[in-house]
Amino acid sequence: MKSRYRTIFDKIFTVTTGLAVLLLVVVLFVILGPMLLRGFSAVLFKGTVEFRKMQLAEFGHGDPEQVRVESERADAVRANVYELIDNFKSGVDIEQLTDRAKEIYRNYGNELRLRELPREQYTALRSLSREIRNRLTDAFSSNSIEQIREHIEYVLQFEDDERFVNTTASGFFQLARQYQKAAAATDLDKRQEYAVELAELEDIITELLGPSPTEDSPALAQFRYGATRWDQAQKLLHRLRWKERWVEPSGKGNLNAESGVSLVRQEFSRKEQFDGTELEPLFGYIEENIDRMLEPKTTFYWRYFLDDSTPGHYFGGIGPEILGTLLLTLLSMIFVVPFGVISAAYLTECTKEGPIIRIIRMCVNTLAGVPSIVFGLFGVAFFVIFLIPLFGGPSQPCILAGSMTLAVLTLPVMIRSSEEAIRTVPRTYKEASLALGASGFRTFMTVTLPAALPGILTGVILSLSRVAGETAPILFTAGITVGPVPDSIFQKTRTLSYGSWDMAVGDKLSAQVPHNQFGMVVALILLILILNALAVFMRSRVFKRLKGQ
Amino acid sequence: MNGNNAEQTVRNAAGFQQPLVLTVGQDIRGFLFKHLGRLALFALTVTSVLAVFLIFLFVILEAFPFLGKFSIVEFLTGTAWYPEAHGTPEFGVLALIVGSVYVTAAALVFSVPIGVLSAIFLSEIVSFRIRNIVKPIIEILAAIPSVAYGFFAVLVLAPWLQKYLGFTSGTNALNASLLLSIMALPTIISVAEDSLSATGRELREASYGLGATRFETTFKVVIPAAHSGIIAAIVLGMMRAIGETMVVWMASGNASQIPHPWWNLSQSVRTMTATIAGEMGETVKGSDHYRALFAIGLLLLLMTLLLNLVSEYFLTRAKKSLGKS
Repeated sequence: MKSRYRTIFDKIFTVTTGLAVLLLVVVLFVILGPMLLRGFSAVLFKGTVEFRKMQLAEFGHGDPEQVRVESERADAVRANVYELIDNFKSGVDIEQLTDRAKEIYRNYGNELRLRELPREQYTALRSLSREIRNRLTDAFSSNSIEQIREHIEYVLQFEDDERFVNTTASGFFQLARQYQKAAAATDLDKRQEYAVELAELEDIITELLGPSPTEDSPALAQFRYGATRWDQAQKLLHRLRWKERWVEPSGKGNLNAESGVSLVRQEFSRKEQFDGTELEPLFGYIEENIDRMLEPKTTFYWRYFLDDSTPGHYFGGIGPEILGTLLLTLLSMIFVVPFGVISAAYLTECTKEGPIIRIIRMCVNTLAGVPSIVFGLFGVAFFVIFLIPLFGGPSQPCILAGSMTLAVLTLPVMIRSSEEAIRTVPRTYKEASLALGASGFRTFMTVTLPAALPGILTGVILSLSRVAGETAPILFTAGITVGPVPDSIFQKTRTLSYGSWDMAVGDKLSAQVPHNQFGMVVALILLILILNALAVFMRSRVFKRLKGQ
Repeated sequence: MNGNNAEQTVRNAAGFQQPLVLTVGQDIRGFLFKHLGRLALFALTVTSVLAVFLIFLFVILEAFPFLGKFSIVEFLTGTAWYPEAHGTPEFGVLALIVGSVYVTAAALVFSVPIGVLSAIFLSEIVSFRIRNIVKPIIEILAAIPSVAYGFFAVLVLAPWLQKYLGFTSGTNALNASLLLSIMALPTIISVAEDSLSATGRELREASYGLGATRFETTFKVVIPAAHSGIIAAIVLGMMRAIGETMVVWMASGNASQIPHPWWNLSQSVRTMTATIAGEMGETVKGSDHYRALFAIGLLLLLMTLLLNLVSEYFLTRAKKSLGKS
């Protein structure tokens, strides 16, 4: 019996250890999966005509003729939307109607003055037009259909009056007719409500289709275009269809917000709010024609890795970030590789184990354990404030300071991997060379180093991947989140790592473009995974070669 | 005559025009070249020693005026961190130290069992082939940059925590320590696995020979034999977690407070590293605040140095004890 329990216990233990490893695999997929999925949509997605317009205008990519044809085709379908809204608005938007009436009155007044009429005729026309204006504004603000009819009829009796024909005053009658029609179709008591809802609706449509053709182009790039991506358009369409409201949970009617009840989200149909109005067909029209209005096409945006971006990475790519990362890492490699390889050569070839070597090794280990943020502090205190000004450079964070800081950070990695690479070279190689009378130095340069080179390169690649991902050391020594592309190593630069931080917590605008947020961090992860895969591949080849001989 | 000719032919064939005897000048040159070269190499090798020395020197130099101006005891025991307060700024880092230790300890609670179990799985249970499949996964976990983990913590994990566990804020000590534990895992697994694999085969065989199961062999024989290495693994994992900046800065919520009650992981904390990262960019060079941040850096440096010494001690002990067995 006891032995059986022991066996069962043993099996449970085995399974538990297996589960621990399984958990690791699951964790890896849970972390990488969502990020990679969302990140890839920065490059491969369904782009709308707005995307192509944006690419052409902001970055100069694409075929202007084709974009023009496409946007004209889309505008033709969109025109109906704007027409429906304008019609509805003429019955609802009191302020706008009033403003228009006042404007017509003003224009007509100017026109009268220019016509140099006799004084009494001028006064009569002036007071009549004022009366018409007042009647109209009264009609606009009135809620009673009787009153409105009365006012409008009063106004319209002058429609064929020869004094007004072919003058700017004819605008009055157009306005009156329009309003008469709209007022008949609209529930006048709900006008205030409609106006609020309409404003919301117009905002969504602006987000979906871009600013309407009659508006000026906004100054900020992010407002210049509608939904550039089909998934964005789908989300906006949902918002167009459903209005979100936070209400108290049902069944607990007498609880109020102060008692700490969390509110529940509910969605109401927007269409129902406009039931029976002229605007009702709009919803069906947009839903049916959304693809004709936006013309989605599967887009492979490979220029994402080259393009600059508009503020907040709202549009565009991560070109400067990739450039900055490459600059920093390659420059730091130039600093660290000679030191690393020479140190490793000295530690393996020139000396025997002794107290000095022990101290050096301890220092390498200490260096490997120093927190990366402390390297950042060191970089500020030593490179930025002390060393670079000592040689006449500017005392400010720059690529040079950042890459030197990163070089110090990765020195232990470089030393350890080169040491290992040199150690794996078989003794027989060296002995053969020495037996031929070559000096120790010559043996190292012509025999050991070439044999160890693939191993050293593996170490270089691993250091590269480590350096490319570091953020803390460059926070104060080289990094910025917004700024121009650097043209010398004495300037700051954007990097993928600092950019990822900024996209996640720094920049509020980027939260609206999750594909670009995730695109940045996925580019960083991919860069590092590719470097690591390369290192693994090279290491396996080195092993095979050394085994084969 | 004939012999001389033969010698000449051999010399010509080998490319030597002169006899294979060094002149005095050549000898001295060779000697100097060798030893001066070696000295030059040594000088370059000492760079890493120099780097450690310079790091300490410059961090201490920047922090020193602060430590002279304010009391060290108050600095270490004060809980109020208001470096930019008008009038009397307060520089008490206790809450920050507690924050660092708190998330690190919580991270170890998650990562030590999983790490040690995984190491046992890799070294005791599965074959070499499966190990070769699992190892790259651990290497990928180690290679993912910390800012990517932080990104995940803020934009993926935090909303999940809010949604499924009902926290008011997704960025808290739990979030940070979960991510830290994932980051510490590769270190713990690889060091622990090395020391488990290094225990002698004969120990295991003796145990199995006595009829012990795998569980009993692992826990009563292998782990006691490899305990120094496992402790070193945990200490190295701790070092990784306590020095980590980006993840804790992004995921911990950054409220400078001592967690109360202590077991409630859904509170915001703030660590030393996050404080440096978050505030360094906004300080004026040479101000008290700037120097206080360097003082925190010095504290951090000393802590990791201590942990490093502890891990070295255990690693040497592990090497020695395994060498004996």
